[in-house]
Amino acid sequence: MISNIVEMESLNSEIIDKNVVASERLREKTEQLISGSFKKKSPDFIRKHARILDDYFRESFESSMVGPKMGMEKNPYAIIALGGYGRSEQHIHSDVDLLFLFEKFIPDEAEDLIREVVYPLWDMGIEVGHATRTLKECVKLARQDIEVLTSILDARFICGMSLLYSALMEQLRKRITLKRSNKIIKKLVENSRLRHEYFGDSSYLLEPHLKEGRGGLRDYHTMIWIARLKSNLKQFRDLEYYGFLSHDEFQSLKKALNFISNVRNCLHYLSGRKCDQLYFEYQEKMAASLNFEKENGQQPVERFLSKLHGQMEFLKQQHLMFLYELGLEKNLKYIRKTQKSPRVKELEITQNGMLNFESSENILADPDLLIKIFEESAVLNIPLSIEAKRLVREFAYLVDETFSCSASNIESFEKILAAPASAFNVLNEMLNTDFLVRFIPEFKAIVNRIQYDEYHLYPVDRHLLRTVENIKKFGASERISKYRLCGDIYKGLKKRKLLLWAALLHDIGKGKIGGRHSTSGAVIARSILVQKGFKAEDVDTVSFLIQEHLLLIKTATRRDLNDEETAISCASKIKDVNLLKMLYLLTVADSMATGPKAWSDWTATLLRDLFFKVLSILEKGELASREAVEAVENKKAEVLRSAPKVNAGDDMETLFNFMSPRYLLYMPANCIMEHIELYNNIETGDFVWNVSRTPNSNTRTVTICAKDRPGLFSKIAGIFTLNSLDILDAQIFTWRNNIALDIFEVNPPLDQIFEQERWDRAETHLKAALSGDLDLSGALNQKISAHYPTKNHIKGKPHQIVVDNESSSFFTIVEVFTYDFPGLLYSITDALFRCRLDIWVAKIATKVDQVVDVFYVRDFDGQKVDLPDQVATIKTTIEEILPGFKPVDPGK
Amino acid sequence: MKKIEAIIKPFKLDDVKEALNEIGIQGMTISEVKGYGRQKGHKEIYRGAEYVVDFIPKIKLEIIVESKRVEQVMETILKAAYTGKIGDGKIFVLPIEGVIRVRTGEKGEDAI
Repeated sequence: MISNIVEMESLNSEIIDKNVVASERLREKTEQLISGSFKKKSPDFIRKHARILDDYFRESFESSMVGPKMGMEKNPYAIIALGGYGRSEQHIHSDVDLLFLFEKFIPDEAEDLIREVVYPLWDMGIEVGHATRTLKECVKLARQDIEVLTSILDARFICGMSLLYSALMEQLRKRITLKRSNKIIKKLVENSRLRHEYFGDSSYLLEPHLKEGRGGLRDYHTMIWIARLKSNLKQFRDLEYYGFLSHDEFQSLKKALNFISNVRNCLHYLSGRKCDQLYFEYQEKMAASLNFEKENGQQPVERFLSKLHGQMEFLKQQHLMFLYELGLEKNLKYIRKTQKSPRVKELEITQNGMLNFESSENILADPDLLIKIFEESAVLNIPLSIEAKRLVREFAYLVDETFSCSASNIESFEKILAAPASAFNVLNEMLNTDFLVRFIPEFKAIVNRIQYDEYHLYPVDRHLLRTVENIKKFGASERISKYRLCGDIYKGLKKRKLLLWAALLHDIGKGKIGGRHSTSGAVIARSILVQKGFKAEDVDTVSFLIQEHLLLIKTATRRDLNDEETAISCASKIKDVNLLKMLYLLTVADSMATGPKAWSDWTATLLRDLFFKVLSILEKGELASREAVEAVENKKAEVLRSAPKVNAGDDMETLFNFMSPRYLLYMPANCIMEHIELYNNIETGDFVWNVSRTPNSNTRTVTICAKDRPGLFSKIAGIFTLNSLDILDAQIFTWRNNIALDIFEVNPPLDQIFEQERWDRAETHLKAALSGDLDLSGALNQKISAHYPTKNHIKGKPHQIVVDNESSSFFTIVEVFTYDFPGLLYSITDALFRCRLDIWVAKIATKVDQVVDVFYVRDFDGQKVDLPDQVATIKTTIEEILPGFKPVDPGK
Repeated sequence: MKKIEAIIKPFKLDDVKEALNEIGIQGMTISEVKGYGRQKGHKEIYRGAEYVVDFIPKIKLEIIVESKRVEQVMETILKAAYTGKIGDGKIFVLPIEGVIRVRTGEKGEDAI
């Protein structure tokens, strides 16, 4: 008895030793395979890996002690590979799925068998998923659970009783797949759709999921499963033999699968675990270990991701085509009812409601059919059949220069470009079938081009199509309040097609190395459109939009929007309202198509704010028209030519930057030079002034350059009145370095012999007023009541005070219509000062005794004053100082 | 240790970040935020529809520093974010009870 036990134990340990040997061999072989295949890319890694595992199971089964005891004859059993292992596609760290299948019942020894066979693998760190089932259980489970079913669809016999494996497959076929294949396929299609939806989330675009993602290996698995269900397909290559795919498609699919699978394998290797999502941290390492090199200014990682996206996109397309043919069956009734028919007689609508060519020979005779079919597709809103896509791809070589420059083909293309956004995207199909690259060869450089950051979600080509799509969606966005503004603008837009062209080409420059992509893109787009025979002004428009497609977003996020200068400088560049609207829509569509990090409500608010401000300036046309921009440029040049001397530390460019566009526009060059001279003399004082005789008139021009402060203007006006100097006209300009330039046109003093003395006294007064030594308002009251009896104004028109908050985004405009009276300007400006308002611009005009005074004001914080009670206060404060004012009795 | 929270104008972010880098501040958290204080929102009208900006876009910066550096950091932000106009923002200083670096488990000032 004892000796028996000893014997048993020694036997047991022998078995364990043998299995250790087997697993040791497995380890060695795996290591060899891995080190070998990563030195010289082995395309067959996954198959070899599966074979090594097969070897292990056979060896360990042969040496098994438990196996022979289980009565193979009475209760046959087999070890079967499932899932990926079943397809002989074993990635480094993928699970090894095994089925221990028994014909009738599961014997007690089964557990020991598993211990012998599976445990050594666990010790090696291999994840083994194993199931122990009888034939009956298998069929029952497969019926209940689609995952079990699909894993058995991929089943492959390893060792044991092979007849049992055949029996399993036979029963599966008889009892499940033959009876319910349609239902199962439907479920698979549905699962696929859900999976695509889930992985369509933007994060999976930056970090693709190689297995479950869109265009991941699961897409291929699904195709295989469906093919197996439909036609009992055994091998992958049968996809071609059974007519699911054309030869070329099959070859390309094989290539795509090899690549993706290789990437997945490499990712397992680098991450040291079963990792199927290509996280950022691995992307650069992967590119290096897959031997991608820098080329054409593209980083290895960008080229790697670009290829990966391309292959995954291809797989996704194949998968969708595959499903489309199956999925449409249920919609047949609906499509037949629509009774659409193509207007081109060489095209037809297939049984399942898709567009196709009547015969491929027609294409050779009339290559224009290649674009006609897309045009029809866009107009009728019917997708191309798979066959039609195949034909377009295969005949795409017919699209040459003559084809793509023919006016009628361009017209067709524009129809497609402008067709309303629909569920399937015709432009996308044109890209997928290589047609687009033929039609616009410059596209080639950006197809699948990746920009490696966390910002750009899509390869450049997809991004461009999405931008076009977004713009078209604006046209249909009536009810989506979020894009209401864009919708309103789009509807009122002139020459929409040009905007769509710009959207389609705005990043075309990204295919070029070096320089700004907007600049090179504008050049490329120009040559494309010139070649296609566009009018010069239209070419200019598109080229401008592309050149400046980052202007608004950059300005909105990096410049001070509350500074009028910001809006004016944008407006001066854009110069035209329609162009601004196009640029705004392009900016929004572009940002939305970039990704969630480029477009948020936050950015949207900034951009919209800028848009309104620039729009308001352009609509008024005063400061940023073509003429205005030119005039300012000429003036700057003239000032520079006369090379005025400037203070050390200030060069002319800095000084120009201080001057507001309004100032530069309205001030003659010689005056600007005078002002610079005055500015040079201000030094430590509060102000300097210059009095000169106005040419051809007996009036004086007083130019005051002063350090700006609230109330400055009213004080100056007051001092003139105090000194009996009648103000005829006044202008205010503020430089951005806090220098005010106030220019007054005044009648000279009556006593012209002692004029200079009068001016000197006024200057002393102003100094005193600014330093607070002079009670200006008191002095003025005395003077006015003593010297000017109140006139009777009853016959005149009533006063009018208008507070306008709509004309400018930056200023509240106060207009006062009244009669002239002594001290008027002082009184009004002082009233504004008491309302705590800063005067930025003033225009004073006096006709006989009717006065129109216009003031651009902001509060001391630099904001417009647009609250109703603020507006009311301004009005009453000014009214109170106007002659004939009668306080309203609050009791009435 | 203190947390310095600053609300600044969006276009000042680069200036502030650069200025902070210059005095050796290594890390910060920024977020795009919206709000209002004394600077009011405004509205625009396009084709009869009103577009109201009631919350103004701003950037929020959060920096944790040793207490002795608070003054310097505040000064730096103050200088770099200043335009002199309304809406330049505010700086808040808050006490911090503890910091731990996730990767190493370092605590306190070592973890800043």
